[in-house]
Amino acid sequence: MKDLKHLYYFENLLQEANNELIRQAQEEGKVCVAYTCENTPEPLLNLPGAFSVRLRAPRTGSVDIATYYLTSFLCEYSRALLERAIEGGFNFADCVITPDGCSMMNRCIENMELLKTMGQGKEHFFFEYMEIPMKGDENGLNLYVLQCRNHILKPLAEHYGIDVSDAAIRQAVAQHNRVCELLRAIGEYRKGDRPAITGYEFHVLTLASYACPKHLIIDKLEETLEELKTREPLDSGAFRARVVLVGSEVDDLDFIKLVEDSGAFVCADRFCYGSLPGRNPIVLNDEEDALTQICRQYQQRGQCPRYMDTPKMNARREYVAALAKEYGADGIIYDQMKFCDPWAYEKMLGAHILREEFGYPVLAVDRPYAIASSGQMRTRVQAFVESIEIKKLQGGVQNG
Amino acid sequence: MAKEIGADRLGDFYKDGGKVRKRREWRGLRDTMYDYSRWLVIMGTLAKFVMKPRNVKAMFRYRWMANYLAVPMMVDRHTQGLRGEYLRMCHTEQDLIIDDVAKLLDNLFRGDRRIGNDREFSKKVVLVDENEMTAVMMGFPTLKGLSRETPSTYVSVLLNQHAAEHYIDLAQQFGLAGDVCPMPEAELGVSIDDDAPVLGACAIQCNTTCDGSLLGNGVISRRLEQEDGIPVFQLAAPLRHREDDVQEYAAQEIRNAIAFIEKHTGEKWDWKHYFECARRVNVATECRQEWLEMNRTPYPQVFGSNLALYTETNYMAICGKIPEFEKADRKLTELARQAFAKKKMAAKEYRHRAIIWGVQSHYYMDFLVWLLNCWGIVPLTDMLSMVSTRRIAEEDTPENREQAIYDMAWLTENMIMRNRTHGGYRVLLDELWEFTQQFNADMVILWEHMSCKALDGMHGLFEDRARELGINLVWVSHDLFDPRIISRQGVRDQINNYMRSVMREEPLDPSLEVLHDEESW
Repeated sequence: MKDLKHLYYFENLLQEANNELIRQAQEEGKVCVAYTCENTPEPLLNLPGAFSVRLRAPRTGSVDIATYYLTSFLCEYSRALLERAIEGGFNFADCVITPDGCSMMNRCIENMELLKTMGQGKEHFFFEYMEIPMKGDENGLNLYVLQCRNHILKPLAEHYGIDVSDAAIRQAVAQHNRVCELLRAIGEYRKGDRPAITGYEFHVLTLASYACPKHLIIDKLEETLEELKTREPLDSGAFRARVVLVGSEVDDLDFIKLVEDSGAFVCADRFCYGSLPGRNPIVLNDEEDALTQICRQYQQRGQCPRYMDTPKMNARREYVAALAKEYGADGIIYDQMKFCDPWAYEKMLGAHILREEFGYPVLAVDRPYAIASSGQMRTRVQAFVESIEIKKLQGGVQNG
Repeated sequence: MAKEIGADRLGDFYKDGGKVRKRREWRGLRDTMYDYSRWLVIMGTLAKFVMKPRNVKAMFRYRWMANYLAVPMMVDRHTQGLRGEYLRMCHTEQDLIIDDVAKLLDNLFRGDRRIGNDREFSKKVVLVDENEMTAVMMGFPTLKGLSRETPSTYVSVLLNQHAAEHYIDLAQQFGLAGDVCPMPEAELGVSIDDDAPVLGACAIQCNTTCDGSLLGNGVISRRLEQEDGIPVFQLAAPLRHREDDVQEYAAQEIRNAIAFIEKHTGEKWDWKHYFECARRVNVATECRQEWLEMNRTPYPQVFGSNLALYTETNYMAICGKIPEFEKADRKLTELARQAFAKKKMAAKEYRHRAIIWGVQSHYYMDFLVWLLNCWGIVPLTDMLSMVSTRRIAEEDTPENREQAIYDMAWLTENMIMRNRTHGGYRVLLDELWEFTQQFNADMVILWEHMSCKALDGMHGLFEDRARELGINLVWVSHDLFDPRIISRQGVRDQINNYMRSVMREEPLDPSLEVLHDEESW
């Protein structure tokens, strides 16, 4: 299969937290809003005059200083981010907005603030923390709206003069939706026996949409979609199994690559930084204000394990099963960043439920932030692929 | 054998490898007779409990019930070296807590489908979390808010340091990562093992202290709802509890929880009863404040485990609902006043004044007693005792009925532990140094509960600030419920090493420096 025209370009962009498109957007006079959690409604960070960047720490090496501040018991994502911030790697950001999504992320950002790692020379720089709902009900929605108003819109307007009107929000949603529609259309090429795009390639494109100013990548995503229409698909035997990857924060390209190199095609990406449901377009009507509608859709689609009410908990596993069915998966890989509490529980229970109640083979793994070419992980995925093959040979009958 | 405080070598009472000590302490005739009479009262409480056949049946059904054989030993561990008012304070609260736990167990087994199976009683039971503020039960006098986790895990580990190990292992065998907090992990293990009583009209769960607690509840609620048919309401208390813009959300959660209980039990909220409980909450707050005020002086009175264990119970689990605790509050205050007037001390020498911060090791709750007796370090107060001091509305008026919803929300948000581990760095980091000043402390003992991510995440900043302020900061690592990770002696050694190598001091009682209590309850 021929390489995608812009793949190398996107891969290079993702090698740096402060990539060239961020610098370009800032030269255009736009405000860079950094954030870390999928529960932060992205369109509100992309109002006219602003653009969002979800923080990540590519090419992470030592996290020694962050480990001193956070100890080795916090997940490597939070430690890698803090280390990068201490190194000065996030100085490009004009503000940081973060919800109390999980304790570790909260502490990571608080350390960034208290250690004065960011904002040097930026007069209007600010940190904002927000409460986000833990349930999918009306009370939670009211909280979500109020928090977005107080901790996103108000500070952006006060510090940077950003237009936070309903019209501006709708304009931001339109741009957001364009990116989502393109990615979802590209993602459709993962379906079927002979997909025209690999999980790795798709992850590169999706990740770029989180880490780069959206308005600067739309043209290349459009070209990629066009290119896929005529791209020769993979041979039907190119991969030995199709899997849905489910889990927490995955911004490491090497992880998807490792899974696919081990014979499992990642046909659906249900993780933070993934497209399902992160790249669902936001449908607005004219009857209700845009802010409330955005919050409702983020709340309803949210798959974060911090949602604690029974309907949301059940819906999480049903969603994974529905994706597995829609994308024709043979199995499911539940992954958890080592030391992540929410996903430690979700992985445990999700793996049991998807296996026992929905009948899917499930592999449950934990992993470091930067996996590189872990032999242990490769062996586990390879063994999982083999087990799926054996089940297929046995006609789906479980042995023992 | 001596009447005077500090005259005995307390370490000599321990037997190598034994569960109990060699003999009881001689405290002088009057104190020894008092201690013995209280021991008889405890045995009476246990005997009364065991006399009911259903409770004997429960001893054989639930693995964790065996830990309750160690009740007298637990009290003895907390009374080590105590005399006079301090001994009486300890018994006043511990004996009451024992009585309360015995009633909790009795009620659980009465309604338990496997044991007493009293269906009518079970319809009046609302299950609550172990670590949950029970404010939403203050207006339901005819209902019983019962926690299954309190006796199965929380109290069990207080009684027997090894009590949770089986359940921790079980949760990990089920696929849970080993680095999560062992408290929700053990509670989950109990649920997986199907080792919790099954009863109740409904359950109120809460995102109590941490992400682990919240997620563990998700697994437990699945069993409750799908297998046991007990509907569950998840009460979401905001994490950023000091912010004004979360209070309405918190209040609505309380309204919804009350409506849920009314729906599933058929009972109606009783304002008269609520405000009576609210008055008792205020009494408890006033008493606690008075004790803390004394602890700022050179003559602290209600401190250490006397303060910690009682506050944990009275503040959250009781929350004004049980009148006996008001009597205990007043009695403790009276004893404290007496001792304060006489400028009494609980050890022969006070060398350091310490704030105990972080989450204490549950399998070694008498560590604070050891700290005082071995090194003369006075644990003036601890993080879990620094809870809400806000006075809540206690008069039944139309305005106060609305205010009461916000008061209950505030209490729920300010549950023990979470009021410090969540809510931003100010409540965990900044306020510690304010307390250090207020209490004129020269030392901070910082429990590092190693799998508590919210605490771990401030590790470096605690050190930086302590250095800036010139405070002696002593880290004491532990794994909350699991002494296999760091043993009791491992906990003690961290203090011993600091005191000898950094402070260059010798212990007050060298016999306590090394104790072979690995096998002990």
